[in-house]
Amino acid sequence: MKALELSKNMKKRLAQLQALSDRVQDGDKAARRELRRAVRESSPEVVAEASELARKGQWALIKTAAAGEPLAEEALIARLDLMRAEVAGENPSALESLLTEKIVAVWILSEVLELLLTAQLAGGNDVQHVPHSFLKFYLGWQEQAHRRFSSAIRELAKVRRLQSGVPRSQTNVQINVSPYANSELRP
Amino acid sequence: MGWEERRGRPYYYRSVREGKRVRKEYVGGGALGRLAAQLDELERQQREEETAYWRENRKHFEQSAVFIGELEEATQILSQAILITAGFHKRRGEWRRLRESA
Repeated sequence: MKALELSKNMKKRLAQLQALSDRVQDGDKAARRELRRAVRESSPEVVAEASELARKGQWALIKTAAAGEPLAEEALIARLDLMRAEVAGENPSALESLLTEKIVAVWILSEVLELLLTAQLAGGNDVQHVPHSFLKFYLGWQEQAHRRFSSAIRELAKVRRLQSGVPRSQTNVQINVSPYANSELRP
Repeated sequence: MGWEERRGRPYYYRSVREGKRVRKEYVGGGALGRLAAQLDELERQQREEETAYWRENRKHFEQSAVFIGELEEATQILSQAILITAGFHKRRGEWRRLRESA
């Protein structure tokens, strides 16, 4: 299986954006104009390619979670669509859409890990049992996925708060995400 | 684990791990030794197959989760660039709005 990665061209564009952002942060005023232009030119492509990658990755994880059950696949796709709509809200900006894809991706990763581990801990003869070292590996991933999930939500909230221009003390950021609520595949 | 010769006859011994130490355990010779050797060989093959299966499974999982790191990097860089162009700057880890537009 080929790893799901961004193209070389996209990585180059991101590196340019990063370098320009760093220069602006260091006080280079000329870089600000350049950065503005680069964001205008690059962001649609970055958002499009990263979103496409996210969808492909989510699909790969759905296949793993559903383990060949078409109904489970459909249920997960529907769940992700619903979550995407809830998190992104109405008229999301391109950046909000991208951040939403990230939240949804980390959620499905958590779900896959949860299913793998639950199957292992529940036992049963139809499950091939994992050696301890692998169980530890999956537990480590699960912990990381939970951290990434919270951090992704915080990031979206931060972007919304900053873009709204309202001071922090007056902002109520509500993101309608419940990672495990109503999951059709939940054992 | 293996066959050892004692007084000209082969006897089967099994290695048993006890904590960090490994000790030899006598099984026997003749048909009993051959049966135990076959069973041990089967078990060893099974363990190898399971390890290979989980190694493959782990590799597959890691490959299918790579995109999350890529996505994180892309969103982080793009958010930062968009916020900077929108007139924010990062100070001690916190984003703040610039007082005057540069």
